[in-house]
Amino acid sequence: MSPYRRARPAESNFEDLLRPQVEYLYRLAWRFTGSVADAEDLVQDVLIKLFPRTQELLEIERLRPWLARVLYNQYVDSVRQRARSPIVELVTGAEGEENPLDALPTAKDGPEANAERTGQRERILRALDRLNPEQRAVVAMHDVEGYSLEELETMLETPLGTLKSRLHRARQRLRALLPMEPFSVGERVKD
Amino acid sequence: MECNEFAQRLDDLLDGRLHALGRKSLQEHLARCPECRNRHEHAVAVLENVRKLTPPALHPGFIDQALSRATRPAARAARPKWRPVLGMALAASLVLGVALGVFLATRPDPVQAVVLTIDQPETVRLMFNSAKPLKAATLSLALPENVELVGYSGRRELSWQTDLREGGNLMQLPLVARGVATQELVASLSHGGNSKTFRLKIDVDNTGRSGM
Repeated sequence: MSPYRRARPAESNFEDLLRPQVEYLYRLAWRFTGSVADAEDLVQDVLIKLFPRTQELLEIERLRPWLARVLYNQYVDSVRQRARSPIVELVTGAEGEENPLDALPTAKDGPEANAERTGQRERILRALDRLNPEQRAVVAMHDVEGYSLEELETMLETPLGTLKSRLHRARQRLRALLPMEPFSVGERVKD
Repeated sequence: MECNEFAQRLDDLLDGRLHALGRKSLQEHLARCPECRNRHEHAVAVLENVRKLTPPALHPGFIDQALSRATRPAARAARPKWRPVLGMALAASLVLGVALGVFLATRPDPVQAVVLTIDQPETVRLMFNSAKPLKAATLSLALPENVELVGYSGRRELSWQTDLREGGNLMQLPLVARGVATQELVASLSHGGNSKTFRLKIDVDNTGRSGM
C-alpha cells in the first residue's frame, strides 16, 4: 500500500476502494434478496458500516471475498431483524380495501398473459424465495458466484459439512419447486 | 450402484468433486438408468437456469449516492425511503414534524385530498393492497409544482423499482410544499405491462406564513 494513500482523506480512500466493488456487491445482494430495493438497501447499509473501517480496508489483500462476507452477515442480520419486526403485522391484511392492482393479470387471463407472468425468470425467483436465507446465500455464492465450499468455509466461518448440507437441501428444494417440464426443449443444458 | 446412492452423490458430480473412480461409477450408473439420467439432467438444468438469472440494472446514480451517503453523515438523511413493509419504521424516523397520517383508500375515485402547510414536511401514506406478491413493480411519482419529496429537492418526477407483498404495502411520502400548489400528485404503479394510477389533490395552507 502506498504511503500516499494512507495520507489521503478517508473519503477518498474509501471511494477508491469501494467504488469498483459496489456493482459486485449489488449483484450479490440481489441474488440474496431477489429485490432491487432490498439489494440497494443492503449495499447501502454495508457501505455505511464500512466507512469507519477504511483503515482496516486498506490492509485487506483480497477485498472482494471479505466484502462478500460482510454483505452476507448484514443480509442474515437484516432478515432476522425483519422477522422480528412488528411492521409486517401492521401492514399485512388490509381487509376490505379495494385492490388497486385489479387491472393486473390474474390466473383467468389469456394464455399469453399467463405465460408472461409465469415466465421462467419469475418461476426461478419464486423458487429461490422459498429457500431460507442461509440456503439462498450458499446457492448465490457457490453455484452462481463460483466460490468453492472450502473458500466459503473460511469466508463464512461455517463448517464444510454444514455448507454441504445447506447446498444439498437448497438444490433439492429448487428441483422440487422447479419441475423438469419448464426446462424442457432448448432450455435444458447439454452435458 | 443403486439409485439412492447416485442421488446422494449427485451434488459431488455436479461440482466435479469426485475422484476418477467415483466419477466412472456414477457415469456407468447414468448410462444404464434412465431415471437417474433424467434426475441428473434436471439438476444441471436447474443450476444453469439459476446461474443465468441476471439482476436488474442498478438505478442510475446509485453508486455515487451510496458512496456519498456512506461518507457524509448529512447525506444519509436524504436517503430515499420508498419501501414496502421494511421501510416503514425508517421512513417515520426521517419525517420532520408530526406525521400527518393520511391513509388513502386506494380507489381511483373520488380523488383524495391532503392539506400541506408551506415549508412543513408531512408524511402522506398510501396503502397498496396487492392480491399477490409482485416482483420489480415500478412506482412513478409526478409531483405538482411547488411540492417536493423530502430529500429530492427540485425533482418533479421520480421512479423506483420495488417488490410488493401480498396484502397491504405501505408507501410513505414525506412531502413538503414550497408554495401554492394547484395540481394533483400522480402516482403510477406498473408491472408486466399493466399499470394503475392514483391521484391525490394537494391543497396548500399558506396562512401560517403571515406570522413568520
